[in-house]
Formats: sequence, structure tokens, C-alpha cells
Amino acid sequence: MQLLRDILDKQVVDREQVKIGKVDGLVAELRQAKPPRVIAVELGSIALGRRLGAVPGRWAARLVARLSGKRQTRPHRIAWNKVRDIGVDIEFDIDVRQTKIFAWQDWLREHVIGRIPGA
Amino acid sequence: MKKLLEISLGVVTSVGGFLEVGSIATAAQAGALFGFQLVWAVVLGTICIIFLVEMAGRFAAVSHHTIADGIRERFGFNAFIWPLLAALFVNFLVLSAEIGGVAIAAELATGVGFQWCALPVAFFVWLLLWKGTFGLIEKGMSMLGLVTLCFVAAAVMLHPDWKEVATGAVPNLPQHDTAKYWFMAVSILGASISPYLFMFYSSGGIEDQWDKTYIGANRAIAGLGMSFGGGISVGVLIVAALVLGAHGVTQVDDYNQLPLMLIPIFGFWGFVLFVVSLAIACFGAALEVALQQAYLVAQGFGWTWGEDLKPRDDPGFSLVYTLSVFLAAVPIALGLDPLKLTIFSMALTAASLPLTVVPFLFLLNDDHYVGEHCNGVISNAAVIFIIALGFVLALVTIPLQIFGGT
Repeated sequence: MQLLRDILDKQVVDREQVKIGKVDGLVAELRQAKPPRVIAVELGSIALGRRLGAVPGRWAARLVARLSGKRQTRPHRIAWNKVRDIGVDIEFDIDVRQTKIFAWQDWLREHVIGRIPGA
Repeated sequence: MKKLLEISLGVVTSVGGFLEVGSIATAAQAGALFGFQLVWAVVLGTICIIFLVEMAGRFAAVSHHTIADGIRERFGFNAFIWPLLAALFVNFLVLSAEIGGVAIAAELATGVGFQWCALPVAFFVWLLLWKGTFGLIEKGMSMLGLVTLCFVAAAVMLHPDWKEVATGAVPNLPQHDTAKYWFMAVSILGASISPYLFMFYSSGGIEDQWDKTYIGANRAIAGLGMSFGGGISVGVLIVAALVLGAHGVTQVDDYNQLPLMLIPIFGFWGFVLFVVSLAIACFGAALEVALQQAYLVAQGFGWTWGEDLKPRDDPGFSLVYTLSVFLAAVPIALGLDPLKLTIFSMALTAASLPLTVVPFLFLLNDDHYVGEHCNGVISNAAVIFIIALGFVLALVTIPLQIFGGT
């Protein structure tokens, strides 16, 4: 398996096969006298911003912080040990409703989309 | 038997969905000024789109992924961002042009200025996306789109010199207005080889839950549907050549000239048919382009998407098409000339082709996605040809726009 070819940018689905995003970043742990190990994947706009460069990454983080009203923000992470299947899509043994990954979609549903008749 | 029904339905859908503001306007302009000389551009564009649509459908049926998914996943985010931005921008212009087309039809029918019609048109497009299902939009609108066959009927009734039409189907050099000739050839190619068309088609394969058993049906739908669709464009060109060109109208620079096309053949009903055809063709295309904007963003970022879901179940996706539709109506509401915008956006479509077509060469040869259903020699040769054509178009469009644009 090659991390960049087979993991990065692939579709992520949860255990109900709900599409929750693409693998926007990878997190590896450096270990003494042993090869580094992947510990998590990252999702969301901060991770994507960092892909483009340090400056867009900071912009994305600042924007997310302002929108969510928090002082510090980090990309969403899914622990690598939750991985269940690696194919064309990557399935994690999680339920997206119990994460904050779709928090902005929930906000949108509650405050914008849900208020339009017929939604 | 069920497959046969599905194939015929698919063919009808692609025929009804083929004609839009770009193909009508470019074919009419070309016919009026150059007679049958530019038939080859329609034919060439149609052959290219057949190959691309077939591949997009096969990719979706085998991999259960769309072309937009594939570009992001295979090439990574930093590469994907370029086709993403280019397609979002070109689609925005095309969507605006389609809304303009419906608004012009509304102006012709009611006498109310087109800029006043833009927002109501956008509202109806949005309403259908908000409440409708994929089947309703794809099949329903395209069935209505069959009214555009009136151009083919008109072309046949005009008894054109078919030998001359066939001569025009072979690429030939212009005798006058050289820069304009090539600019029109580019716009026709842009109108026929639309990225939104093949990207939408691959999303449609997923919406209709295609699997490997659809590979044959997909081939038939792509081949027959697009050929018949191209036939309608040739019909528009023939009618424009014999009605507008032959009566001295060589410069089509105003939408009000276009309804004259069908009047000598069908009388007053010709006017009605033209207005209805324009309205339906552009309305259908506006629905597809707006949906494509949402597909592109949702697939590129991996969100949940689907036109059959309720808006509350895919809020991100619904927000994208909502914003796209209303933003695209703004230029028309401000009074931007829809015909100028149409021709400009078709040329720009042609220029953006390499960004969306190059990935086909990699995706359709990646056995990770398409397994044993990889491209054969002919399909690969076709993609390489289209890529080469795309690069030539990208290089010549801007200079031609300056010297040959209207």
C-alpha cells in the first residue's frame, strides 16, 4: 500500500456508508528507532488549506475559528485504528453523527436550508 | 426487454437534452454567415462528445464514482483545484447564458424585457431542483425537449441540397471572414463538447444506480443519443443557412432575429415553436448545469449528495445549487446581452477543455477504478485526439475572440 496513492484524497465513508468527506490529510507519529506510523486521517477545510500551503492553512484556521466562535481550531481527525476497509473508498468504524465533522452541515440545516419551505 | 426500454428512454433523454442555448446560437450564427460550410464542426464536436460521454458513463457504472470524484481522488487536491475552479467559473457563465435563453424566450412570448424575467426564471429552476427528483428532471425535461426536433423537420421541409450539406461535413477552408470562421468553429466545438455534459452524465449514472450490466446500454445511449442530438444542431444550422443567410441576414447579433428562422416554414406557429423550443432547451440545460455545480463541489469534497434526497438531508449540496442559480441570474437581471454571453461562454468552454479531458486518459486506464473495462486502443486514441484538440482550442480561443468575436 502506498499512503499518497491509496489513502490520501480517497472518499471516506462511515459504517453506514454515509459519505463524510475525502482524506484531506494524514497524521504520522515519529518513533525512536522505528519507522513512523500513521495514527489518524484529517478531514475538513483546515487540512485542505494546509495542503495548499502554510498561509492558506492559517487563513482556513482563522476563518473556521471565527465562524465557529472558538479561539483555537484543529482539523477533524479520525483515528487510524478505526479503519475497517480500504478499497476505492475508505471505510471507518465510526458514526458520523457522533462526530463534529458535519457540524457545519447541521448548522446549515437548522438555520438556512431547513427554514426554506419544502426542505 | 427491460434493458431495451431503458436504452430507448436513455436515447430519448440525451436527444431531448442535447440542444441548449449554446448549440442553438452557435449553429444559427454559423449557418447564417457561412451556409453549410461549418457542418463539420458540429460533426466533429458530436463525435468527441460521444466518446467522452461513453467513458464518463462506463467509469460511473464500473467504479460507482463520478469523473469529479475520480479527478480529486486520483490526482489529489492540489491538482483538482484547477479543474474545479475552471469548471465552476465556466459553468457559472453557461448557467447564466441558459437563464438568459429562457428569459429571452419569456420576453418574446410576453413582451416583458428579459432582464425582468431573469430572477423569476431562476426561481422556477431552483424550485424544480428543490422539490423535484433526478428522474423528473432528467427524463421529464428531456421528453419535453423533443420539441426541438421541429428544427430537423424544418430542415427537411426546406429541401436543402444534401450533397452540399455533406460537403460541409468535411473540414474546409473559409472563402471570407477567416477570423470569424475559425472563431465560430471554436464556439461550435465548445458548445458541443461541454464539460458539464459529460460530468453530469457520470453523476446521472450514479443517481440512476448503474452497475456493470449497464456498460452496453451506456454505449448505445452515448452513441445514438449524442448522434441524434448532433443531428438537431445540424438541423438548426441548415435552417439558419436557408432562411436567414439566403434572405441576407448574415449577422445574427440579436436574439430577436432568431424566431424568424421557422416562420417561412410553419408561419405563425413557427414563431411559437421557436419560443417553446428555446425556453425548454435552455430551461432543461439550466437545471443540469446548476445541478452539476452542486455535484462538482459535493463530490470534490466528499460530501453526501443526491438530487433524490430531501434538501435537509444534504444541506451543503442544496446550498451550492441554490447559490449557483441565483448568482447566475444576476448578470442577466443587470441587462447583460444573453447572446453575447452565450457565444463568449462557449468559446471559454472550449478553452477550458484540457483541464477536464486530460484526466480521462488516466482514469479510464486505471484498473483500480475500471478493472477489466479499461479503455481500448480506439477510445484511448480518441481521448488523445480530444486532448490535442483541447490544447489547440485553448491556445487559439483568446486571439480569435479578439479578432473574430462579435
